[in-house]
Amino acid sequence: MGKEIIVGEELADSAAYRRLEASIQEPESEEMRAWKDAGGKVIGCLYNNIPEELIVAAGLTPYRIRAVGSTGAELADSRFSQINCSLVRHLYDSAKRGRFDFIDGLVAANDCDHMRKLYENWKATIDEPYFYFLGFPKKHGEPQAARLATMLGDFKKSLEGSFGVEVTDEKLRAAIDLLNEIRQLQRELRDMCTSDDPPISGAQMLTVAIAGDSMPKKVYRDLLRQLVIDVRCMGDATRPRARLVIYGGEIDSPELLVAIESQGALVVADSLGGFGSRNCACDVSTTGDLLFDLAHWLVVDRPHEPRTFNTAPERYAYVDGICKEYGADGVVQVHVSMCDLWSYDRLNFDRHAGMRNIPCLDLDIEYVLSGEGQLKTRVQAFVETITDKER
Amino acid sequence: MYFAGCDLGSTTGKVVILDDAGGEVSIAGWSVVPASYLPEDTAGAAFDDVLHRCSLDSLDDLTATCCTGYGRASVSYISDNVSEITCHARGARWAHPGARTIIDIGGQDVKAVVLSGTGKVLDFAMNDKCAAGTGKFFEVMANTLCCSLPELGELARRAGACAHMTSQCSVFAESEVIAYMNQGTAREDIAAGIHESIARRLFSMAERVGYREDVVLTGGCAKNEALRVALEGLLGCLLVRLPIDPQIVGALGAALFAREHHASAARRSDAPTRSTGRA
Repeated sequence: MGKEIIVGEELADSAAYRRLEASIQEPESEEMRAWKDAGGKVIGCLYNNIPEELIVAAGLTPYRIRAVGSTGAELADSRFSQINCSLVRHLYDSAKRGRFDFIDGLVAANDCDHMRKLYENWKATIDEPYFYFLGFPKKHGEPQAARLATMLGDFKKSLEGSFGVEVTDEKLRAAIDLLNEIRQLQRELRDMCTSDDPPISGAQMLTVAIAGDSMPKKVYRDLLRQLVIDVRCMGDATRPRARLVIYGGEIDSPELLVAIESQGALVVADSLGGFGSRNCACDVSTTGDLLFDLAHWLVVDRPHEPRTFNTAPERYAYVDGICKEYGADGVVQVHVSMCDLWSYDRLNFDRHAGMRNIPCLDLDIEYVLSGEGQLKTRVQAFVETITDKER
Repeated sequence: MYFAGCDLGSTTGKVVILDDAGGEVSIAGWSVVPASYLPEDTAGAAFDDVLHRCSLDSLDDLTATCCTGYGRASVSYISDNVSEITCHARGARWAHPGARTIIDIGGQDVKAVVLSGTGKVLDFAMNDKCAAGTGKFFEVMANTLCCSLPELGELARRAGACAHMTSQCSVFAESEVIAYMNQGTAREDIAAGIHESIARRLFSMAERVGYREDVVLTGGCAKNEALRVALEGLLGCLLVRLPIDPQIVGALGAALFAREHHASAARRSDAPTRSTGRA
């Protein structure tokens, strides 16, 4: 019998993966520094409803704001209340400490009240060369796509005016094609995890996805192409004890998944936002008016979040679908404390999972991972429960 | 054959040794020691003590061992570990086969576990980082009332009334205790209020998992009679009195798993092929 290969162990041999992994360890990656050194500009994006394609088409690099390495949020205490989530607190604290000084502007959307508060505080206290706030529809449908297309047109004009560029249809199409290719490559990687012996762990998959918003898109695309080739060449790994799907809003650090997977489980798939499968579930069409196509993808085509009204059946069907497709034994729901949108959804999903006999574990987390001992106990007990076939 | 279970909690380490004499399983001995700085040191002290009690020479006399508790993955010579939720369920079930709900009060956490008729864990709830309802809460309150932990329980049993606490948070409840003390409220009544507060916390957790009889209380705090009475009042049923020390239930469960895993490994080594189907 040959040597047992732990899931994802072989990935350490991939130079592409090592570079992607290195890029998420600090707010500003080596690749982003190189871009800046060459005169490139970076636009900070808050959360996952920002049309990155427009930013790329304007010759800029979108950067998802992440408070990687944050250890406290003291500087946020004076401007946020106790009911604001730890995500926005840490992002603001890091911003105040100058950890995002490399960005040349900030774009936000009305994702939730916490995020609005973050944007307002950022704008009031930090001098960025460019600010833009996008009113994102709360409903999904054709009228909302049309309305958003108009707003995207305004955003395009703002970028053109502020950065002295022209965003032509040709440039926008090229940007959409680039991001679509990235989505296709990410899907290809994820599809490999439907097998009995997935070659890549959930934490590694998340690392790869986060890296996509930490460097220029073309650099990322090239690394991703190589990574897909590398992973295809890897041998079968040890079969996990339990296969889990993770469901929730935003996780922008692989630490939580590392903790979960240390307990004998493998996160084979997710229904997460910007860094998860929902962001690469389908491509942006380029068959009609490009702004409308992009708006349509944002509010209609891609899987929804709880902030969009009347989408629970579709959201849960999406989770059911990936559970089936990836042969999941259970679902882990994660939600940052004080996140009202996901906390309410949690109760509804618990009921849904109960009706479908889907084992479900709820984890309340903070933006910076803490209480790891109790978290691991919960996860291990959950894995033991769903794999106990003897009783 | 001897099998050992080791439960390394935040305040104590527990080891149980089972004697399996041809399928007849009994507890050969057990030990409870205070936690050291390193879990491995705690385990070492508990093993030294229990091996001596069982007249065994060394760890080599044990056929298999399994660890549980917060330090479960920190003992270099024990590779097998099971979560304390599953271990308390298994241990309680062994000690009382009719157990359907286990409420465990540990030093820094509290858990409620509900079992199926066959003993499978159906659901569980566990506190977060909050110390409400835990042994730590008792410690803080006893300290505030200037008494020992056993005295706190005794005080509560002599109470004429209950000084209700509006908060289950250790910090806020301590402020309330101090306020009661300054108002001249009897220590006994404050102690009763403290126990009622913890019982309410445990009750809400039991409600969350849908508790059903028989209900078993485990952990060191299960020896506190005042707490048992307060909790029985809220649950509306009597708590089962285990025939063993409730503090060693987790370690007992781990010992049972050591025995079970040893048997499974033996069966696997005999099996001609391995199943390849997805779990």
